[in-house]
Amino acid sequence: MFKNLKISLRLGLSFSFILVFMIAIILVSLNQIKVSRTMFDRIIKTNNVRLQLSNNMIDLTREVSINLRNIFLLKDSEKTLELKNRIDSIRNLYDAGFKKLEGLITNDDTMSFAIVAKIKASQDVSRQLNNKVIDLAIAGNHEESILLMNQQASKKVAVWITDIDELITHNADRSSMLFLEAEKAQDAARLFMYILGTVAIALAIMISIFLTQSITRPLNISVQTADEIASKDLTRDLSVYEKRGDEFGIMIQSFSKMIEILREQMQKILDGVNVLASSSSEIFASTTQIASGSEETAAAISETTTTVEEVRQAAQLSSQKAKSLSDSAQHVAQVSQSGQKAVDETIDGMNRIREQMEIIAQTVVRLSEQSQSIGGIIASVTDIADQSNLLAVNAAIEAARAGDQGKGFAVVAQEIRNLAEQSKQSTMQVRNILNDVQKATNATVLATEQGNKAVEAGVKQSVQAGEAIRIMTDSSAETAQVSTQIVASSQQQLAGMDQIGISMQSINQAGMETSASMTQAEDSVKTLHELGQKLKELVEQFKM
Amino acid sequence: MKKEIRTILKNRAIAMAQEPEQKKVASAVIRVITFTLAAETYAIESVFVREVYPPKDFTPLPEVPPYIFGIINVRGHILPVVDLKKFFNLPEKGLGDLNRVIILCDEQMEFGILADVVQGTQDIELEDILTIPPTVTGIGEEYLKGVTKDRLIVLNAKRLLCDKNIVVNEEAN
Repeated sequence: MFKNLKISLRLGLSFSFILVFMIAIILVSLNQIKVSRTMFDRIIKTNNVRLQLSNNMIDLTREVSINLRNIFLLKDSEKTLELKNRIDSIRNLYDAGFKKLEGLITNDDTMSFAIVAKIKASQDVSRQLNNKVIDLAIAGNHEESILLMNQQASKKVAVWITDIDELITHNADRSSMLFLEAEKAQDAARLFMYILGTVAIALAIMISIFLTQSITRPLNISVQTADEIASKDLTRDLSVYEKRGDEFGIMIQSFSKMIEILREQMQKILDGVNVLASSSSEIFASTTQIASGSEETAAAISETTTTVEEVRQAAQLSSQKAKSLSDSAQHVAQVSQSGQKAVDETIDGMNRIREQMEIIAQTVVRLSEQSQSIGGIIASVTDIADQSNLLAVNAAIEAARAGDQGKGFAVVAQEIRNLAEQSKQSTMQVRNILNDVQKATNATVLATEQGNKAVEAGVKQSVQAGEAIRIMTDSSAETAQVSTQIVASSQQQLAGMDQIGISMQSINQAGMETSASMTQAEDSVKTLHELGQKLKELVEQFKM
Repeated sequence: MKKEIRTILKNRAIAMAQEPEQKKVASAVIRVITFTLAAETYAIESVFVREVYPPKDFTPLPEVPPYIFGIINVRGHILPVVDLKKFFNLPEKGLGDLNRVIILCDEQMEFGILADVVQGTQDIELEDILTIPPTVTGIGEEYLKGVTKDRLIVLNAKRLLCDKNIVVNEEAN
């Protein structure tokens, strides 16, 4: 049950326990001291004073008696009065002391009260007798008074004094009683302190042992765990100790949390290291590529440098060309004016060509019509040939019917037939030729139409050309201006090319530096890679 | 061109100057008119042919057998025209410029047959005409005289002229 108490609470409880014991001891002893102190006080301040007073009262009483005797001895009335006054003053002193004594009697002391009452009674009796004695003495009745005194008063005074003595003895008794009480009280206090002190010491020892153990045991566990963590072992399971409700429970929770976090961290570091390893090898490959790339870049840069030089020369050349261009632009302006005239003439010529083309077209159409009429003629010739053929056949038939007389006629008929056949073939040839002619004329018609169109397009184009040349005339003036600007620009360009040359040199330098840096980077990546490997080994040393 | 014509004429003169060959056997020559029907060449004896006439002034007739092509006016004579292609179940070809009507005649009959193309006249020796084998029937073999070596089908004109089938029976109307 104490395991779940906080250490502070535990410590507080223990110390307050001990504190309570100590306070108890102190209180008890203080009390006892106080009791004995009162006892001693009473002995010293009351009883001793009472003793003194009692003794004083005895003395005073005796003095009164002495004075009484003096009265008898002197027998002088004057002296008697004087002595009587002295006796009165002594009595006053006595009364004052008696009063004081009465005031010092404590309520528990009943015996003292009784004795005091007795004293008072004997005092009153004695005093009356003495007064009588004195009165008799004053009256001059000395003998009677001496008798009275010797017979009665002195006895009563003796009783009185014994009573006071009794009080003194009683006082002494009380003092010794009080002293005994005080001693008793002191003894009790000592015993009590012995017992209580022993118990307190025993308890304090037990509590200290328990406290030490309850603190050192979990501390030992923590130290052990810390040692294990220090020796790269993260396998410890502290969940058993986590249930403690005290600071150690919290500490062990923190420990296990720490171990958990360390495990996670280690795992993450391991993952990270793996990534690092693969990344560094990739970077290594990349840097190698970049290194080769930068070498290529260097080569390219030197090529570019030479190219820039060439371009510079070209720019110089172009500057010269621009100058000549400026000259020729002015020339162009003149030429374009003459071109304008030529184009106007061209337009006229084109118009004439168009007229001629129209005449050609009409002619061709006529030709086509005529060839069609030739076709008609050919058809009729063919017809005639057919009819001749038929006639020849019929003539042959007639000849056959005539018999032998008709034989010669049959030959003639055959000849006619052959001729008809020939003329038919000829007309066929003519027809073919005519077909070709017709095709050709058709083609010509088409061609002339196209020619017409072309001529029209030509006219249009030459008009456009005229327009264009006019624009060109305007433009060429602008061109002249622009070409002077170009001359200026090309000179600037030349200057720019020089600057580019310088820049290329610095780029070249930078490229070389980059190449050097890449080699360094390569080395660095190699180191990084090794570092990753080492890190991996380190992390793998951890047991998880 | 002129040279060619000259050579042609010369050759022809040479050909004509030559003696005609002596006939081995005096009797056996007939003169025929050759013409085509569809893809085949036919011949008919010129003795039975009166003349060849172009198919003009031609009128088709209603209500006649399909082989009667129509009637034709030959210089005032009205003659029937027979389509032998229908007769011999040959494929139709339609009329064209080269169609001719061959007019056959003897003492009793006179009619025309429609020829696709008339080729001309020719002499055929009778020995060359081979008779049709008797196994060939159903194609109007009774109208055929024979076939020459040159696949020239010689028609029997006399048989055609005597045939009662060609005469249209008026009672049929």
